[in-house]
Amino acid sequence: MPKPLDIERLKIIEKRIYEIAQEWGLLTTDVQFEIVGAQKMLEGMAYMFPVNFSHWSFGRDYETHRTIYDHTGAGIPYETVWNFTPPVALLVETNPFALNTIIIGHVLGHVDFFLGSRILQIGRSFSDIADEAYYAAERFREYEVQHGKDEVEKIIDAGMAILWQQNPDIFMEEELDEEIARDRLLTMEREKARPAKDIVSQFGQNNNRDELLKKKLQYLAQRVPPEPVYDLLGYITRYSPVLKPHHRDILTVMRNQGRSLAPQRKTKLLNEGWATYWHVRFMRRLFEEGLLTAEEHGIFDDFHSGVTRENKVGFNWYSIGLALFEYIEEKYDKGRFGREYDMCEDPVKKAYWDTHAMKGKEKIFQVRSFYSDRMAIEEFFTDEFIHQMRLYIWESEVDAKTGETTYYIAERDPEVIRKILVRHHTLYGIEPIVIQNANHNRNGYLYLNHLSNGVELDQRRRDGVLVHIFTLWGKPVFLETNVDNKRVVCSFDGKKHEVKQK
Amino acid sequence: MSIYVPEPTSERGKGDAKRHRDKQKEVLKENLPKVIAEESIITGGSGKVRVPIRRLSIPDFRPGKNDGGSGGVGQGDGEAGEVLGRRPGTGKPGQAGEEPGEDYIDTEVDIAEILELVFEDLGLPQLEEKQVKELIVDLGWKIRGTARGGPWALLDARRTAQEGVKRFWFLLQALKDESGLPELICFSALKKAEGIFNEALVLLKDVAALPVEIEVVAFPIFHADDFRFHKIQSDTQYQSQAVLIAMMDVSGSMSTEKKYLARSMLFWLVQFLRKIYEKVIIRFIIHHTEAKVVEEDVFFKTGESGGTNCYSAYELAGSLIDTEYPVTQWNVYTWHFSDGEDFDTNRTVLELKKLFARKINMFGYGEIRVGEHWRLFPSISDSQLFTAFSRAFSVEKTEEEGVRVLTGSNDPLLGVVVTRKEHIFPAIKQFLKKDRWANHA
Repeated sequence: MPKPLDIERLKIIEKRIYEIAQEWGLLTTDVQFEIVGAQKMLEGMAYMFPVNFSHWSFGRDYETHRTIYDHTGAGIPYETVWNFTPPVALLVETNPFALNTIIIGHVLGHVDFFLGSRILQIGRSFSDIADEAYYAAERFREYEVQHGKDEVEKIIDAGMAILWQQNPDIFMEEELDEEIARDRLLTMEREKARPAKDIVSQFGQNNNRDELLKKKLQYLAQRVPPEPVYDLLGYITRYSPVLKPHHRDILTVMRNQGRSLAPQRKTKLLNEGWATYWHVRFMRRLFEEGLLTAEEHGIFDDFHSGVTRENKVGFNWYSIGLALFEYIEEKYDKGRFGREYDMCEDPVKKAYWDTHAMKGKEKIFQVRSFYSDRMAIEEFFTDEFIHQMRLYIWESEVDAKTGETTYYIAERDPEVIRKILVRHHTLYGIEPIVIQNANHNRNGYLYLNHLSNGVELDQRRRDGVLVHIFTLWGKPVFLETNVDNKRVVCSFDGKKHEVKQK
Repeated sequence: MSIYVPEPTSERGKGDAKRHRDKQKEVLKENLPKVIAEESIITGGSGKVRVPIRRLSIPDFRPGKNDGGSGGVGQGDGEAGEVLGRRPGTGKPGQAGEEPGEDYIDTEVDIAEILELVFEDLGLPQLEEKQVKELIVDLGWKIRGTARGGPWALLDARRTAQEGVKRFWFLLQALKDESGLPELICFSALKKAEGIFNEALVLLKDVAALPVEIEVVAFPIFHADDFRFHKIQSDTQYQSQAVLIAMMDVSGSMSTEKKYLARSMLFWLVQFLRKIYEKVIIRFIIHHTEAKVVEEDVFFKTGESGGTNCYSAYELAGSLIDTEYPVTQWNVYTWHFSDGEDFDTNRTVLELKKLFARKINMFGYGEIRVGEHWRLFPSISDSQLFTAFSRAFSVEKTEEEGVRVLTGSNDPLLGVVVTRKEHIFPAIKQFLKKDRWANHA
């Protein structure tokens, strides 16, 4: 039996961590730490929000977490903290004291990131998202009673398939009113054409050009949507000819959740790295101050090394993020930046370069405030850092005969690794897919365009998504993408899949 | 800042987790042909089996390779091209969290659960009622009821005494009616006369000479009619037992892969028999030109070269039935696994006819041919045995889910041609069809 959690002592520790955080210049706010049983924590991990609607995929994740927890019994070395106002975080009552201390420190790191990151402020603008999820859970239950569980589930499944097909620019609110967007576009085109028209008219040969402009405007006036749309879920929810009101409600709730979480997906590396960076320092300080015993510090070391373990075929956000901030800090403390350093070609000189600039803290706070993962990777995943982290790209191959999968190192070139990482973090691993035409063939078919420059989609999943989109759109769905370096159009008409050369 | 303990909430995850498991079960059902052919099932031996079930996930647009492989970022030493690890194609549990092929998870499933799904798939839900030949087993004698006659040794003293007491009250009443005297007087007379009615009547004529008893105490009076004897019956019990005689060609042409298919089929046949019979025994016979009875591990491991005489195995099976498993007491199933090669089909057919004459429940013939495409050359690729059976017996040839099936019209003959793993399930389904395994005798 684990010792009951000493809540009074934890409160003292929490107070001290707050003081230290403020001393170090971290932004703090009143975080609600809930002490909960393992079950609620595991649910929190699976359901994305403290209370959310019911879906089998949440149940699946819950059971996975639960099984791991039941089998290891080592406590739950994860934190769950929501970027709400105020932020809400969970502490598991059965966790060892030291682990809960780490988590408080880690959470305060996240909270600073929530408050300080320009990108996460977007997430905080969905301030009522937790309430919405709470009430949605009730409404969806009623829908299940009225329309049947299968019917509701089908819509949720489909919504999840395109949940992350959002505008890559999270600062941009997509214009969902087509006619306003169209007017704006038409005006723009007319304005663009005006000076040319004036010049051409002097030569009396304007007929042809006028004709062209007329055609273009006509095309724009008819095109649906007037501009390609990134926000698949939003557009389909609004314009699908087959969705019923309760479907639209379900999808709207899901879209809001996706949008509120998107900023966190864009900053996961930095956010986790930042929180880890600070929890290490909090723990060190608490130990120095005698607030933690040597034994507890030992427990901390165990958990910390577990969480930051290298992964042969995985990207450990915690360890790489932590190393990234420490790397940036050292770089800027030693003045290893700027023209002089970049131009220096003497490797020995570079290795011992230290101008005592001591700009490290300032820089990491700047990164926390203004960078997304992609920006950080472009700027700081230098050859040096990639070597230091021993990063590589692995690939796997499946033997068609035996079904055996072989994993191997595919690439060690830092240039290529950086490129792949940037691509992966620009969007969610793929180039954007837009709604090109929602009236394809003049039949209301949906035509999607994968703005790809080479990255191909997993075919099985791709076809699966098309089926889900068909469910929502009710008419044939087309997707232009690349297969084997050729441009193709894949489609699903409710019965069969087709792939045709473009 | 605040740390507090909130109100406990009900467990939401459970219901959704169940929904997920139900959906997984549906997937399992759809994939039965694959699952059934899973190698780890027959090697596990724990009643549970780990099968790779596709992790139910909602598809999304993501990069991927056509061969099903994937890629990502990792950390560590090693040159480009260096192999980091391998994951076997079947059955073996992977390291959780390390597997990029996250779409597949190994799930532990009860073999019983798989069986249930098979039966559901066949529309055979109520297999609990054992619709098979039940055999009478002699357990000796047992007492069942009472008779008015029998050897003294079987006298039922209690019942007899009861009858005697009845008789006493009857006689006492009769005395009262006859003499018109009070009960106690009549009782005294009956007692003095030791229960003999006529004597008691005489005694009552001289009441004064009669020693009067203080109270009526009933005692049994026996007439010949009053003796009761235990009735006995021979004690028998209905028991269902079956023997599966598995025969396999171990001549050179049976490769490991073919043997695996045979083994997998046998495994499921036995599972099924176990479900319907209380007792199931499996005997193994291997043969090339000669046949012998062997242990299970020998059965699957032996590989010999040389020719093939199938009749030798049938002959041996016949004598095994005669000496150890008479059909009056056993449900007898025989299965022969072969690649269809036989040097003396005439004699084989003759021996098979003898097996049928013994009234066995079934003769199953599993023809295992790997990597051959009989469909392409149907005329030339019928095996020697297949041809011989089709000619010698009145049979119906069909094709079910890609499996060629031979069904005897008059004899309990079932032949299936299995050419790959995916055929195991449809082949077993043929066996499971009710009219096939039900009693033919």
